[in-house]
Amino acid sequence: MSKTTDSSKTAKSKRGAFPRKGFRIFGLGLQDFIRYFFGGNAALAIVMLVLICIFLAMEAVWFFPQHHHEYRIYRQAGQEYVDLIGAEIDAHTRLGSSVNIAYLAEVNESSKREDRLINALMQVETAVENRTERLTERLEDARELIEELPEEIEDAKDDAEELAELQADLIKAQKEEQEFAPQWRKAAAEALELPEVWDFGVNVVKLTDNEKETIKEAALMAEPGFETEHPFFAALSEESKQKKEVARERLVAFKAAVDELRGAASPMKTLHGELRTIAMENREVLDKFETAPARLEALLEGIEATKDPEERKRKEEMAAAVVIETPDYVALTKPIYESQSKHAELIVPFVETVKTGWEKLPEVNSLETKAGRAKMRTAVSDYENFLRSTEHATKAIPEWRHDRPMSKVKTVLAFFVGKEWVTNSSWHEFYGLLPLLSGSLCISVVAMVLAVPFSVAAAVYVNQLAWWREQNFIKPALEFIQAIPSVVLGFFGILVLGTALRNLSHIESLSWVPGFPMSERLNMLTAGILLAFMAVPTIFTLAEDALNNVPKAFTEASLALGASRLQTIFRVVMPTAVSGIIAAILLGFGRIIGETMVVLLVAGNKIQIPDFSAGIGVFTQPAHTMTGIIAQELGEVDKGSLHWRALFMVGMILFVISLSINFAAQRILKKLHQSY
Amino acid sequence: MKKTTAILAMMALALATSQAEDKIVIKGSDTLGAKMVPQQAEVYKQAGNDVSFEIAAEGSSTAFTSLLSGTADIGMSSRNIKDSEKDEFTAKGMEIQEWTAGFDMIAVIVNEKSSIKELTTEQVEKIFTGDITDWSEVGGAAGEISVYTRNTSSGTYKSFQEMAMNKRDYGSSTQKMAGNEQIAAEVAKNPNGIGYVGLAYSENDGIKPVKVDGVKLSPKNAKEYPISRTLFFYTIKGKLSPAAEKFLKWATSDKEGMEIVEKVGFIKP
Repeated sequence: MSKTTDSSKTAKSKRGAFPRKGFRIFGLGLQDFIRYFFGGNAALAIVMLVLICIFLAMEAVWFFPQHHHEYRIYRQAGQEYVDLIGAEIDAHTRLGSSVNIAYLAEVNESSKREDRLINALMQVETAVENRTERLTERLEDARELIEELPEEIEDAKDDAEELAELQADLIKAQKEEQEFAPQWRKAAAEALELPEVWDFGVNVVKLTDNEKETIKEAALMAEPGFETEHPFFAALSEESKQKKEVARERLVAFKAAVDELRGAASPMKTLHGELRTIAMENREVLDKFETAPARLEALLEGIEATKDPEERKRKEEMAAAVVIETPDYVALTKPIYESQSKHAELIVPFVETVKTGWEKLPEVNSLETKAGRAKMRTAVSDYENFLRSTEHATKAIPEWRHDRPMSKVKTVLAFFVGKEWVTNSSWHEFYGLLPLLSGSLCISVVAMVLAVPFSVAAAVYVNQLAWWREQNFIKPALEFIQAIPSVVLGFFGILVLGTALRNLSHIESLSWVPGFPMSERLNMLTAGILLAFMAVPTIFTLAEDALNNVPKAFTEASLALGASRLQTIFRVVMPTAVSGIIAAILLGFGRIIGETMVVLLVAGNKIQIPDFSAGIGVFTQPAHTMTGIIAQELGEVDKGSLHWRALFMVGMILFVISLSINFAAQRILKKLHQSY
Repeated sequence: MKKTTAILAMMALALATSQAEDKIVIKGSDTLGAKMVPQQAEVYKQAGNDVSFEIAAEGSSTAFTSLLSGTADIGMSSRNIKDSEKDEFTAKGMEIQEWTAGFDMIAVIVNEKSSIKELTTEQVEKIFTGDITDWSEVGGAAGEISVYTRNTSSGTYKSFQEMAMNKRDYGSSTQKMAGNEQIAAEVAKNPNGIGYVGLAYSENDGIKPVKVDGVKLSPKNAKEYPISRTLFFYTIKGKLSPAAEKFLKWATSDKEGMEIVEKVGFIKP
């Protein structure tokens, strides 16, 4: 009892000490307002977060039923069946292409020396032509007229008026020709002195001075409108032709085998083409049927809204014309079922011809060129792939039924482990997460591998070893990186880093580096480097904080026991701060996987699972990311469509990833605080 | 009293007819109706023509159904009228009239250092679908082809698919770029690159358009160039209102009308 009076007394005295001044509304003072304002803001943030979660989930959750539905139509229309044959043909095309490239590499090898010079001349000619474009065009036009007009004049003999006109044209053209020809020669000679004309880019061509002079001469001879060729190059191309001819004769068996192998598919291709058209039409019918109820509903709504009786009558007629009649699935798929026997009939000779063609091909190691051998090795795996796909199709085609229910698990899996992301298609849209997820993860791996050692080492240095002046310089400098807008970094990535890396990768003495030479300047490596740069401040700041939190007493005790500075860092400070450092790394990872602008601009946007058979070199391939696809496609997609929901699903996955990273980091940090 | 009523009635009638005459209903293709025709309509109105427009762009097929039912004055189409559609008009005793609204061309570009100068439509299809992966297969110096395309939400992505790829899907190794400018920039930097851009971008530095089926890319060759299409207006002979006819003549031949055609990236008729 006495206690309560005590407390009420103190409260009263407090009130006395800080008397309530100023305005009051509903008994609330300024300070209360400020308090509620801050409290309200915090609550609002939480409400917003919950709303975002609900919104994401609401949009995304309808993805799976709709996706399942689309797959059902895909099956009912017979497209699934057609794609089984399509897979065989695709595998065959890849195989045929590989062996053909190998064959062409062998043929081209024979005239490599000649072609190198001819190519150099062609490149120089194009470069000159581009630099004298306007003159070239006008000169070409004038010369064309000079050639054509005499004939026309001959024809127009009887018409005096036309004759005079044509003759005037001819004189004008001749005058122009006389004026432009020397101008062109001068401009071309000037262009030939420019160093960039002699820059052959990736296809490095080294020329001797002698060869360079000949090319210059030849380039000047190739005046627009004339078909003259420098005798040296005329001889060269003749020689190249002959050498190729000889090589072709030598490789005639190879060519025959390639042709046999590639030609084997043509009856199957015809069948596929026919079925494809049928299935496409079926799909149209089914889609129309699927959308009919919605259309009818819209029309009925429109009728409600219109007052004009005539307009109303017209709309009623339109509504009556909308047929909601279940399509005759059996009739639609009849030609497809009929083709089952045709496929069975074709598949045996198809595979047999490919097999005999394949056996006639030369051994991998008997090929002369490195490129040829490499392609032949690819062909080996293509061949196995082809056999697998025909085997699969032969088994699946007779069993295929348009009315077999689509398994729900399968369509859900089609999203999570689907290897294709095909949108805006005239055929069927596939939404597979794997290409995007793998792209995001690969880029993150690159970024983490680069960022973690740098930023953790920097944190240790700044916190433990640096002189205070260094500290005062390094810390703000690293944290300043965060202030660079990511779109600026993206542009830097395209224009400077990407180009520089690509040029670097083409230096011959560096060709041993996996993935070099890179063909693309926009790829995972470039994007990863930029993301690493962006993640450094995050990881650095948090890791430095964690090191800072290690009690001074630990360090002092260790030093007092006679440990050296480095021993103290590695044996005492780092182990104590390890969970904080791990949390810092995780949050850095969260920063990387959620970054959008840089990857959209720099990653190359190739929607394909990276080819991991390239080893570490895989990182120099382009890829697409989860964040990038949302940014790229969400803008134009119809609200509520499957594509729209698929993008929300991707967003949802991204959200879950970020959330779990943050959750894990927080758990780890909590542990840190419990430990001492 | 009677007189005033009659005058009022006449005025109302005149008003009604004048209103009916001055409203031009245009329906059909999305390609035309998305940008070009609305912009033309706007400029046409600003030029002092007292008309109002109703434009609905729901695809070329709707041009013919609307004309047939009499709900449109002008149909827009990015393709020729089909024979079956023509039959329907004939059956109703109507004769269709065709106006060329412009041409749409897409340039296939390669790096200026590429040895390729010419491709066939079949080769273009195979390159973009991923059937052909190496330049040596189309007669160039060996090197893996890098294909750059617009991103999936672009209209050109789809029309290129329809015009040059036989409606097949793009190969999975194609790289989706943000716009014409980025495609041109990447092809300019990659000797093994290929891409497609609108006519306006085909002259950028470092790239060159290839001949397709032997036809050079140039507005002169719009009719022969395979990756191009004619954009049409369709009307019904004898049923065209004077206001609509005036607009059509303006849109297909007036200098101002032509400027808009070129501004939105098409070629003037």
